Amino acid sequence: MIETNSAQPELKNFVGILAEKLEGTPFAHLLHIYENIIYSLIIVAIISLLAYFASRKSSMIPGRLQLFMEMVVGGLDDFVCGILGPAGKRFTPFIGTLFLYILFMNLFGLIPFLKSSTSSLSTTAALAICVFLYIQYTAIKENGFLGYIDHLMGNPRGIIAFTVFIPVLLLFIHIISELVKPLSLALRLRSNIWAEDMLLAVSAQMGIGGVPLLLFNMLLVILSGIMQAVVFSLLSTVYFALVLPHHEKA
Amino acid sequence: MDLLKQLTANEMVAQIISFLLLMALLRIFAWNKLLKLLDDRRERIASEFKKIEDTQASVERMRSGYDRKLADIEAESRAKIQEAIAEGRKVSQEIRESARQEARAILDKAQENIENEVAKAKQELKQKVVELTLGTTEKLIKEKLTEEKDRKLASDFLDELEKVK
Repeated sequence: MIETNSAQPELKNFVGILAEKLEGTPFAHLLHIYENIIYSLIIVAIISLLAYFASRKSSMIPGRLQLFMEMVVGGLDDFVCGILGPAGKRFTPFIGTLFLYILFMNLFGLIPFLKSSTSSLSTTAALAICVFLYIQYTAIKENGFLGYIDHLMGNPRGIIAFTVFIPVLLLFIHIISELVKPLSLALRLRSNIWAEDMLLAVSAQMGIGGVPLLLFNMLLVILSGIMQAVVFSLLSTVYFALVLPHHEKA
Repeated sequence: MDLLKQLTANEMVAQIISFLLLMALLRIFAWNKLLKLLDDRRERIASEFKKIEDTQASVERMRSGYDRKLADIEAESRAKIQEAIAEGRKVSQEIRESARQEARAILDKAQENIENEVAKAKQELKQKVVELTLGTTEKLIKEKLTEEKDRKLASDFLDELEKVK
């Protein structure tokens, strides 16, 4: 169940096994390239079906599934609006989807023969790019292009040094900080989940004697997976809060 | 930098599409529907609570109104009872007074009657005494008187006098 061909141990997953079986065919190559995408699409299907079945016969008196989904949706809405205020409701679908997607991807690696897509930097970078682009779009939409530049130049302004030098310096620093944000988001999530996968793979290598340690590590991985999803969503929400006009914050 | 070499454009684009697809699907099935439902339910619960509070306030108002009316009715009934008691006392006082006056009138009349009867009796006695005296005197004049006859005469006179009484 464990691959040790590469430098790092890795738990086997069914797409990898299938690619091995079809070794040498173009399909195996595709499977190898889009391994993470396949798991992501499975998660997209699972979450969409859950949402579909929960809201299919939605009523004022909810069933169990609807109640569960309402708790999730309502909780995420409260989470976003708690930081951004009532005006932040329009960001709930984006941040909520981000949270659910990352959470499912993080925890998917715990199921035998499945894999966490978030252990791939491409996946986390893609999500971080989505966050970055949406934040920049929101910032320009809310403040105007010049207003956003003005916002990045910071305050105060006044005498000569403050009029030119410091605002330009602050603009430069802020642009770098804006670019670093997605990088930090992507690297943090990828590295944590990759480390969790390593931990599980190493524990699994220990055989029967390592089962208690494996179970303990699985508990840690569950906690860490939830926490990383929260951290990614929370930081994204805070980044939105930083670019929104201040009167919109609660 | 080795880490950055792991980035593949195809996978990133596919992941972005996958995420946007999920967001679109959840927007249809979860966010729009369920958030609206939650808002509607919140509003409905708030309005139901408002209704309950309004009804409670109205019931409270009605109850205090009824309490006030009840207190008024009690006060009125107490006043009427007091009035009736006073009226009753007045009537009984009048009845007593009238009975007293009537009794006094009866007593006065009886007293007057007694006095009249006494006066009449006295008059009659006086008449009898005169008649007896005249009769006795007449007898004395007609008969020669002896000691024995005198005694008998006096005794008869006294008997007659007793009868008259």
